[in-house]
Amino acid sequence: MSISTNRLFREYKTLSTNPPDGIQAGPVNEDDMYLWEALIEGPIGTPYEGGVFAAELKFPKDYPLSPPTMRFVGGGVWHPNVYPNGTVCISILHPPGDDPNHYEHASERWSPIQSVEKILISVMSMLAEPNDESPANVEAAKMWRERRSEYERKVRGEVRKGLGL
Amino acid sequence: MLPEDEPSLNIPSLLTLAVVSFFVIRWFFKRDGDSTVPGSRGRARGNVVDPAHVEQIAQMFPQLSTRDIMWDLQRNGGNVAATTERILTGRGLDTPPPSFQPLVAIPPTGVPAQPVSSASKSDGQDLITRYNLATKIAEERGEEAAARSSSGGWSQNKEERQRILQKRRDDMILAARRRMMMQKAQDTAQ
Repeated sequence: MSISTNRLFREYKTLSTNPPDGIQAGPVNEDDMYLWEALIEGPIGTPYEGGVFAAELKFPKDYPLSPPTMRFVGGGVWHPNVYPNGTVCISILHPPGDDPNHYEHASERWSPIQSVEKILISVMSMLAEPNDESPANVEAAKMWRERRSEYERKVRGEVRKGLGL
Repeated sequence: MLPEDEPSLNIPSLLTLAVVSFFVIRWFFKRDGDSTVPGSRGRARGNVVDPAHVEQIAQMFPQLSTRDIMWDLQRNGGNVAATTERILTGRGLDTPPPSFQPLVAIPPTGVPAQPVSSASKSDGQDLITRYNLATKIAEERGEEAAARSSSGGWSQNKEERQRILQKRRDDMILAARRRMMMQKAQDTAQ
């Protein structure tokens, strides 16, 4: 086992034996530890409440030196910090040297002391509190800022659709 | 005759002594320096530490000295992963001997930006189709509140682990769906 798969296996074990509330994650197939799938429950008190969101995590071969990428699958998520293709854009997924916007603190960004669990918890709080500074989905950001009730209605509709209702 | 001979003999012998002692001293110090670096003689000479690697680790662990990082990289042959693992496991880095001459002037290097993964298939499917849960929903209708207790679990067996994870995933989606349907029923009743 290489350092990266070893580490990913350890994280998988921790997440399985002691999963955080509303989070499930693990490799799609243990033969390839570099591709994971995660489920996140929508945070309570937000339009995402009641929903379950599936995301795919792709790890680089030099994990944990470099962060994984994360993408919501199954229609994506309507959110200012999620690209229309589902890719999540938050500081913890950015390597420390890469800060094109110059507003992220190094401590918020990726480093090997972070983990899959921390990423998923960060994404959960991102759903609750969008970061308006760097919208990945400009349309969603605009709607969130200017027409909040329409935004919430749209999200609730997608939540139900995601559950096949 | 003799008194004149002595000085003419002494100059070359002094020179020889000087040259010999120069090599002896040089050999002595070289050996001394190397003995503090067991196992790295030869390799340490030609092996140049990549400043980008040093920078990469220094960014992740700003509390560490660059000298310590260089020393560790030089000894493990420039293996960033090994050095990071060493720091993370709490073993820490050794302090290099004072004779260690690291590379000076680290050019600032930006970590290459990660390309945004391009949209492959904009799959507009819901989770029920994605995880083939339609049959489970049908089964569930009879025994409404299925007991869902398994919050965490681990098995030494690979297939078993896979099965546990899949079960937990399915349970999470089905439970959310049940809650949503119940809420909808309540809303319409009011």
